Amino acid sequence: MTAYSEKKPSGRRGRATDLCITAVMLVLLAVYVIPCLHIAAISFSSSRAILNDRVSLWPVDFTLDAYRQIFAYPTFLSAYRNTIIHTFCGTLISLVMTILFAYPLSKSFLRGQKTVMRLVVFTMFFSGGLIPNYLLVASLGLTGTRLGILIPFAISPFYLIILISFFRTIPVELEEAARIDGYGWFGILLHIVLPLSGAAIATIGLYTAVFFWNDWFYSLIYLKDSQYPAMLVLRNIVSGSSMAGQAGGVGANASLAIAVKSAVIIITTIPPVLIYPFLQKHFVKGMTIGAVKG
Amino acid sequence: MKKLLTLLLACMMLLPLIPVMAEETPITISLYYSDNPTLPFREDWPALRAIQEKYNVKLNIEAIPMADFATKVTLALSTGENTPDAIRGVSSAGQYAPFVLNGAAVPISDYTEWTPNFNARVEELGLQADLESIRLSDGKYYYLPMLWEKPIYDGGLILREDYLEKKGFAAPKTFDDLYQILKAYKEDYPDSLPLTTIINPGVLYRMTMPSWGISVGQYSASGTSVLSWDYDRKEYFAAAISEQYKDYISFFARLYAEGLLDPEMKQDDTSTARKLATGQAVATYGYYDQIGGWTDGTEIEGFKLNLYPVLTGPGGAHHQPRSRVGTGIMFPIGTAARPDFEQVVRKLDEVFYSEEAVKIWCLGIEGESYTMDGDRIVFADDITSSPAGVFKTMQNAYGCGTIQMVWYLDMEMTKYDENFAAINAAVAQMDNAIQPVPPTPFFDDLTAEEAALLQTTLYDAFEVWNDAFLTGKKSIEADWDAYVQEMTDKGIEKFCALYNEYKH
Amino acid sequence: MKAKPRGNRSGTGTSAVRRMPWKHYLAQYWQFYVMAALPFAYFILFRWMPVLGNVLAFRRYRPLTGPYGVSWVGFRYFEQFLTQPQFWNAFRNTLILAALNLAVNFPLPILFALLLNELRATRLRKTVQTVSFMPRFISTVVVVSTLAQLLSPSGGLITRLLKDWFGVAPVYYMNEPEYFRPLYIATDAWQYTGWSAIVYVAAIAGISDDLYEAARIDGANRFQQAFHVTLPSILPTIMVMLILKIGNLLSLGFEKVLLMYTPANSSVSDIIDTYVYRVGLQSTANQYSYATAIGLFSGVIGLILVSSSNFLSRKLSGESIY
Repeated sequence: MTAYSEKKPSGRRGRATDLCITAVMLVLLAVYVIPCLHIAAISFSSSRAILNDRVSLWPVDFTLDAYRQIFAYPTFLSAYRNTIIHTFCGTLISLVMTILFAYPLSKSFLRGQKTVMRLVVFTMFFSGGLIPNYLLVASLGLTGTRLGILIPFAISPFYLIILISFFRTIPVELEEAARIDGYGWFGILLHIVLPLSGAAIATIGLYTAVFFWNDWFYSLIYLKDSQYPAMLVLRNIVSGSSMAGQAGGVGANASLAIAVKSAVIIITTIPPVLIYPFLQKHFVKGMTIGAVKG
Repeated sequence: MKKLLTLLLACMMLLPLIPVMAEETPITISLYYSDNPTLPFREDWPALRAIQEKYNVKLNIEAIPMADFATKVTLALSTGENTPDAIRGVSSAGQYAPFVLNGAAVPISDYTEWTPNFNARVEELGLQADLESIRLSDGKYYYLPMLWEKPIYDGGLILREDYLEKKGFAAPKTFDDLYQILKAYKEDYPDSLPLTTIINPGVLYRMTMPSWGISVGQYSASGTSVLSWDYDRKEYFAAAISEQYKDYISFFARLYAEGLLDPEMKQDDTSTARKLATGQAVATYGYYDQIGGWTDGTEIEGFKLNLYPVLTGPGGAHHQPRSRVGTGIMFPIGTAARPDFEQVVRKLDEVFYSEEAVKIWCLGIEGESYTMDGDRIVFADDITSSPAGVFKTMQNAYGCGTIQMVWYLDMEMTKYDENFAAINAAVAQMDNAIQPVPPTPFFDDLTAEEAALLQTTLYDAFEVWNDAFLTGKKSIEADWDAYVQEMTDKGIEKFCALYNEYKH
Repeated sequence: MKAKPRGNRSGTGTSAVRRMPWKHYLAQYWQFYVMAALPFAYFILFRWMPVLGNVLAFRRYRPLTGPYGVSWVGFRYFEQFLTQPQFWNAFRNTLILAALNLAVNFPLPILFALLLNELRATRLRKTVQTVSFMPRFISTVVVVSTLAQLLSPSGGLITRLLKDWFGVAPVYYMNEPEYFRPLYIATDAWQYTGWSAIVYVAAIAGISDDLYEAARIDGANRFQQAFHVTLPSILPTIMVMLILKIGNLLSLGFEKVLLMYTPANSSVSDIIDTYVYRVGLQSTANQYSYATAIGLFSGVIGLILVSSSNFLSRKLSGESIY
């Protein structure tokens, strides 16, 4: 955060406001943490304790059964590995492509920029639907390969526009100074623009990573079963038992314990939560606008 | 010259080996399979392994999550891209009908000489009539269905047996008996909700409505939501506005009004499990293999849940209709282009329908999962000692009862406890307790669209009224005529006529 | 005291660039075109070409015949849904729910980000922020079922608390139409506030200290600083997000609505996506054409919404997407 917030509060009014804000934050903390703690507690409790309503915020009859069941699930570990691969590669590809497109599009003096921008916005609303997209990816031979999930989603118009708007806030003066120093536009992108856009890139990187992390639908239709990500497997576990309503065949009706479902939630939530603090550093890397003044 | 001769000689010596080598390379067949999360697919399932070894085939099974199976299959069928050689778990009715009607699947009945085992099983189990029911308007059938000797009664009324014993009640035979039991429980425990539901009220409806002679709602047997099949007259009728439905909803509205029916009818399985395990509910309509989970979590002494045979209502004693032919193996049209298509069909026919194969799919491998004690089948210790029960353990660990296509009653019963076998025997005694599923009409594209539009409108209206009648928001006596009028205005008569016109 | 970072939106010397002859122009700026080449190719292939598939809305679809259908049927599918009162009911519900959602859940992340910025205790701030986006990852199925359990008329935690502390009689909240919208919006707030705030936190992080310094020298207190420095500085971000959100107005959380839907609350809980889903379940024959038609309809509306909000935003605040 900026140096602003590190300054000491001035006067009684300042301290009172501080107290209020802290109080609000603590309440929010509780609102967010309590349900998550509850779910975590369930994942470590015995089914008996859960069904008899004895679990609130702490596990009762501590057991790792639910987690054992998940890890014993035949495809789970390979699915988790798939998720990590797809998220990492997908985010990397996406960031590179989005940055390469956002920078030119942030320059309104470029010829063609206005038209392309309009077309980009257009694609946010008209996407052609499932069949044309599927047939396109299939005809390119990408279905059944990992590229089938990595390439078609390389650039999201939504995040592209966010990045463009961030790039536009970079002062022209910095770029002009670099031009004078002899940098080409690629150079400027690499040495001036990117370092200053840490926050924006981290943001859309995070958003993109989460898209790949959570995706199950596109993985389902474009990939083979050996490439299915964890989310697809887990979704099946969590919502599979509601199929009991529809299935009605022999042996299809036993439901999975709530503990297993909760464990599934915990396993899928933890990694993104752990990564975020590392990204927070980039948000702090502010802009050296001071370099322009004076 | 000499070199040429030796080369020729070598080739001649290799010649006889060719057929042998060809025989040894197993044929590869890719198959879509609907993966149930409670019995996840394992490549190393002993049953699967044994079958592949015995029949010299490599089954590339693509396990697709059950929840999304239909999405993937309909996409593959509608685009013709990336189709497997065969799909297990589809039929030519319902959502798959349009694809079959438009030539996305092979009419396997044209190749009946290539499915001798299947034909033999159909003969043996007397399923010729049922096979007729899956033929489409061109007289062909497009998939090799699952074959059941007799539908298994795997779910229905589940009740606290210990409570019945405590109060000296006999096992209920009619719905009025059930009413008495629920009422007694409510008196003993005023805070309770004696009859609860699993997942959503549709499950309750589909299991109980047939005893009134109807089947409507989300899971109606006919798939129309508002029409039902009259088994005597062999035609559709507008069940949603019939007297039978009025009787039905009056009965349950009464249960609701007296606090005997849980108002929270849409709830997830944990909620239901809680209510049963803590005794807040004494009965539900669910499935036999859920009992284990409910019993596991209870702290009530003497807690015992049991499945009861079908109760008799005004329309007889009938359960949710089940066909003796189920979903099955369909060949996408692309497979027919394979040069070894005949081998593919013959192989799958062998692998799923030959007597030997069925035995492996049902019982596993002799010496590994079971041994024969004279005439009796004795399962391996690790199977019998497992808390999940024989059937479930064999599914999970051995792959038996998963991809299986033929189900013999006696053989299956060996995998269940005696209690279950007794219940099934009792149900089998009843007169037509489990009726066959109503036939599907032969619609063409345009009629199907018309029917679909009518159906959505009628179904939406029905759902709202059904809920209102049940909960007492609308009075069955006073508002019935308004209800019938609205349904007629929305076209229920036309809808019924449409179905009757195209039925076969 | 109003400070606005200078961007190159207006572009110093745009007119100069405009007047350049092509040879000169390309010599200066060819690199941009090389940069954009690959992404541009991606866009053509994966984003623009499939749009042709929308022609399916006017044609009959047959399986195995490619993405363009087999015969022209004109506005048949549009007629099919435009004449259904249920569709318009769903449409109305969608608009109302979306508008309410926007009104409540758009400002909340901004407020949250501002509040976070004011928090001095670094550790608490970092913790709250990280924790605030955990709910985003909890699957909707679990959120709805936990909610249903808390509000269960037969012993849910919240129901019991209300009864014991406030004497409120148990109500089956998940079933009553009056509670559907508030519950939907409240769960969205819980799940997405922290997540959506990330963009604003990033924007605030980029505000130079000098601006605050200048404001402090001018005698501004904290509220005034927040109002006159922080907010205006992130205004571009806010406007862009607003325009994008308005454009996406019609796409609500389908899964959540489907899970919260009961026949009793169907008069308010049926939205366009659930309506299409139900129709698709009944008949898959025309499903693709039908869904494409509705998609086209929603797309046109979305485009109109974005264009108008973009235009208004440009006139009122100088910010716009294009």
